[in-house]
Amino acid sequence: MTELVHSAYDSHHAPAVPPPRGLARLRAPGYLRAAWTTLLFWAFGFGLVAFFRWLAHYDPVVDWTIVTVVAFLTLAPLGFLTGIGAFDYWAYYVSGRPTRPEDHSSHGATSWKDYFRVNTDHKVIGVQYLVTTFFFFVIGGLMAMIFRAELAKPDLQFVDTQTFNGLISEHAALMIFLFIIPAFAGLANFAVPLMLGAPDMAFPRLNALSFWLLPIAGLMFLAAFLVPGGAFATGWTSYAPLASDQPLGQVFFNMGVQWAGASSIMTALNFLVTIITMRAPGMTFWRMPLLVWANFTTSLLVVIATPFIAGSQFFVMFDRIMHTNFFRVDEGGYALGYQHIFWFYSHPAVYIMMLPGFGIISEVIAVFSRKPIFGYRLMALSLMGILVLGFSVWAHHMFVAGMAPWLRVPMMVTSMIIAVPTGIKIFSWLATMWEGRIHLRTPMLFALGFLSMFVLGGLSGIFLASVPIDIAASDTYFIVAHIHYVLFGGSVFTIFAGVYYWFPKMTGRMYNERLGKLHFWLTFIGFNGTFFPMHWVGLQGMPRRVSDYSEQFGNWNMVVSLFSFLLGASTIIFFYNVIQSWHRGPIAPGNPWRALTLEWQVSSPPPVFNFDEIPQVVAGPYEYGIPGARHAVLNGGHAPVVADAVHEEARR
Amino acid sequence: MSAHAGSSHSVGHGPPIANQSSRVSASVLGMFLFIASEAMLFGAFFTAYFFVRVVNPEAQSWPLEPFHLPVFVAGVNTAILVTSSFTMHWALQSVKRGNRAGLQAGLVLTLLMGLAFLLTQMLEYARIGFNPGDGAFGTIFFGLTGLHGAHVFVGLTLLAVATVRAFRGHYTPEHHHGVEIPGIYWHFVDVMWIVVYATIYLI
Ligand code: HEM
Ligand SMILES: [Cu+2]
Repeated sequence: MTELVHSAYDSHHAPAVPPPRGLARLRAPGYLRAAWTTLLFWAFGFGLVAFFRWLAHYDPVVDWTIVTVVAFLTLAPLGFLTGIGAFDYWAYYVSGRPTRPEDHSSHGATSWKDYFRVNTDHKVIGVQYLVTTFFFFVIGGLMAMIFRAELAKPDLQFVDTQTFNGLISEHAALMIFLFIIPAFAGLANFAVPLMLGAPDMAFPRLNALSFWLLPIAGLMFLAAFLVPGGAFATGWTSYAPLASDQPLGQVFFNMGVQWAGASSIMTALNFLVTIITMRAPGMTFWRMPLLVWANFTTSLLVVIATPFIAGSQFFVMFDRIMHTNFFRVDEGGYALGYQHIFWFYSHPAVYIMMLPGFGIISEVIAVFSRKPIFGYRLMALSLMGILVLGFSVWAHHMFVAGMAPWLRVPMMVTSMIIAVPTGIKIFSWLATMWEGRIHLRTPMLFALGFLSMFVLGGLSGIFLASVPIDIAASDTYFIVAHIHYVLFGGSVFTIFAGVYYWFPKMTGRMYNERLGKLHFWLTFIGFNGTFFPMHWVGLQGMPRRVSDYSEQFGNWNMVVSLFSFLLGASTIIFFYNVIQSWHRGPIAPGNPWRALTLEWQVSSPPPVFNFDEIPQVVAGPYEYGIPGARHAVLNGGHAPVVADAVHEEARR
Repeated sequence: MSAHAGSSHSVGHGPPIANQSSRVSASVLGMFLFIASEAMLFGAFFTAYFFVRVVNPEAQSWPLEPFHLPVFVAGVNTAILVTSSFTMHWALQSVKRGNRAGLQAGLVLTLLMGLAFLLTQMLEYARIGFNPGDGAFGTIFFGLTGLHGAHVFVGLTLLAVATVRAFRGHYTPEHHHGVEIPGIYWHFVDVMWIVVYATIYLI
């Protein structure tokens, strides 16, 4: 991992390597090699388990639960990564051989096949992330369609209770760990190095590895459906001690979280190092676009908090496979400890799922209102405020869990205080739009949708933060309403805004504006129809995570289910638009939105190494509507692409 | 880079050299952030320890009757590990001064002491008389020392790589990140052990 940076940028003309033939193909990095290395690593894991159990005189020597954890869920994925070549460079380094000079053959993509290889180009990786995460978004969404069909009427119609629990748990796990968190990482992967004026991330190979852990985690979650007893069914929260005594599918959650978590920690580390050490000359911290600020804070959260969920899942799993007693009360364990450790990650995690979205919205609102961000520094500082406060509120998820009573009021107070920095951001966005020239393009529509819906989610959050209300509303559909207003109306809307906003930059083509708007309105209507009534049935006491409910909630649930199908159908328009436009949409200019940030000052899609020469940053990124303002000078000032943005601005 | 500057955006020409916007080198910073994350993982385990031993109203005795902790042997082991931090430091100072023999000797000594530590711990495990299932006490004992042992193993692997490369003459007074970075990690593993030893064995 050490000489990465230097060697990644050594310029070097490498002779084109001829594609391997015959047996050599088995040794060249790729899926063929991955096939046998996966098997080999699996067999090694199997042997390891059997050997040690034989050594310790355990009976039976082959325990399939442990083989599952060691061989299937740990070593086989490592074998796969080895096979596709994620470790090749390090393998050379470790064995003390001279590392091959970087020939940049893993940079850029010339055909769609390059997206299925280990690629070290942050732009390719960004697209890989997005395609993968949207794939899991669809799967998770289809699961929701199934259980909404089940919930349309009281009684059980389609699935049994364990399957129902499995579906809702998988739905949440996929949406959180395989869609929202990594989709933000994908957008940032594409945009952040460009915005900083850097040729790539600090550790391109680590970046590639982080990506490849994701499909592994996702397939692991899905594979849980195939084992005896079905998928893990304890919710995305996987509370102990319940989770320690569930069918085998549970360990697929425990381990899947480890892979997804490792992926986010490595990406976060990469972002932090990139942002600190690779900013273009003149790009001080106070000139960074807010998207960069947002990812800086998010990455700090990830690096600090994510190890806690790793720990919590290890403990639950050890309680099961190694008969430890972390949470077994009769053996001196402390069951409530699980919830403390889990929420100490998972409350900060809700900000991991929101702050990058705040960054996207700041870009979109400034550009489409043609005005500087109101209170830029306060916007950055409020992110930091949320970062710090975010670690002090975790127990508001545990008001009814039987925790120490004295913890309640402090947690209630901090939870309410954290709404202050969030409120600052909301008002800053409103003030940015105030008297601006608002262009209602699709990204802006999603930004406005985000603003309104997120405020509603924040309000139900404040309700829940107050102990008496939470005691009544806990574990009801009111919580489901809250989390979907913040995570769908909040995070997912910002992801859509970001995808539409950077679509021209990523693909070099424009999306279809009319379809984009149609997508927005159908999503907006479907979303509210689905989740707003949940507030009411929740307050009347309909419990969450239960497959059946009393007759009185029947009508509203039918309404909810119908709207949820509309919501599901609205994404078809999105995918149609994206795929169609990627193929034959009109060619996008370098800077279709007349934005000032650096990624828009290069061609669409950007050149392989982003910039011919590192740009010189001369001012802040949001000087919209100010004649002659520029954020950066490119190519030594010879071809200032920024100028056309400025001229157009002046003409109006 | 300069030779190819201005050429087209083909794959052949390398990227422009990134601006260095900070005095810390990327890999050292990366290692520190990784360590921050690792420290939090230990934090999760210490939180479990804290719950089991302090918060739990039905906390059991520590160590759980009738077991004993080999405080003395572990103390000797602590001394070994702490010494190895000094030899690591010596190795790094040597390479900075261009003293290759010092670098090699320092690395080998560190490696040997790390191995000695790990072996002692394994023997301790074999003879300690209880296992992870013996109360929350056994769980936490094996959890924390096991987590630490895994880190020693990783540290030793990194050191082994550095040693191999040192004997092949890969490091110079100017370029020695390959020694410095495993060294930082090794000091972290060392400091972490002192905390583990103090909380598990001494308190
Ligand atoms: C104004 C700020 C917020 C406050 C005061 C707040 C408060 C709360 C409270 C008290 C709960 C616990 C309800 C219960 O289980 O009884 C809760 C649950 C939850 N909140 Fe928030 N929240 C806020 C913002 C957010 C944001 C921004 C997100 C994510 C983007 C979020 C995501 C969640 C999730 C996922 C849960 C449910 C966890 C579960 O499955 O049990 N919240 N919130
Ligand atoms: Cu929370």
